Amino acid sequence: MSELSHESPLAGVTPPPGLSVSLREITDRGMIDLRGHGSDQAFLSAVKGALGLDLPLRPRTSAGSDDLRVLWLSMDQWLILCPRTKAAEILAALRSALTGVHSLAVDVSDMRAVIRIEGGGCREVLMKGTSLDLLDAEYRPGCCRRMRFAEIAALLSVVEDNVFDVYVFRSYARYAWDFVCATAREPARVRLFGAQDAPA
Amino acid sequence: MLVVKCPVCGAEGDETDFHAGGQAHVRRPASHDPAHVSDEEQRDYLFIRINPKGLHFERWRCDRGCGKWFHAARDTVTLEFKAFYGITELPPADVIAEAKGQWAEYFAKRLKAEKQA
Ligand SMILES: [Zn+2]
Repeated sequence: MSELSHESPLAGVTPPPGLSVSLREITDRGMIDLRGHGSDQAFLSAVKGALGLDLPLRPRTSAGSDDLRVLWLSMDQWLILCPRTKAAEILAALRSALTGVHSLAVDVSDMRAVIRIEGGGCREVLMKGTSLDLLDAEYRPGCCRRMRFAEIAALLSVVEDNVFDVYVFRSYARYAWDFVCATAREPARVRLFGAQDAPA
Repeated sequence: MLVVKCPVCGAEGDETDFHAGGQAHVRRPASHDPAHVSDEEQRDYLFIRINPKGLHFERWRCDRGCGKWFHAARDTVTLEFKAFYGITELPPADVIAEAKGQWAEYFAKRLKAEKQA
């Protein structure tokens, strides 16, 4: 019998010295892709019953706590974040609650790699790869959105004022990591935006 | 650089966050009357597009946002967007009123058909 094992796409990779932000991969995150109609009351209440929290319906917002957080991805798609060891259990609860409701729930924990970028100036570093204005008041903790980052598809989640998680598809993990390492070097700081405080 | 705004999720960004999907309101003849599709109709559906100088109607996708398709009315000379509207909708009446040539003909025909239905 072969056994499934989890291997991080960034295993053994460490950030180079001299970066202006701190960088690490988050490997213990379980992710569940949830689809259903945001206007379907049966769907919403079934999910609430299984997760114990309301799905965020406003674009680019999230709901929940550190242990269980739901990111809005689209009008009919959410990404549920949980500890990796809990994913199977939560998925089973969701599926049983959603029996007979038009919906889809799949464990996608191995689909994406998560890179955490932390520290003053991290907005500036990220803005080297995206056209988004991360100094806009919209990008406060709890905000999440998909974006084009360094020409690839990525998902951005604002964890705290100067803590961002960037989700990229697994096969792009090394590329995204190298991009951030290159653009976050201390001599590469552009200081276009002054002290780079979080938006008020 | 074009600044696009998705009417579904409200995401606003430059065109690289979106995907242009060609001319809007192209209807597949076989979905109305599959048994009676002429070669000419099928040819027009596959290959013939309106290429106006001025107001044009296009499909766009919120590629790096909610992922939904939507419609946009854009001036091909000034590059100004006149309206963003839903993928199953017609443009706002004031924008339809500005349409010229083949587009004006198209909307007149479409509105007449919808009145009759
Ligand atoms: Zn959108």
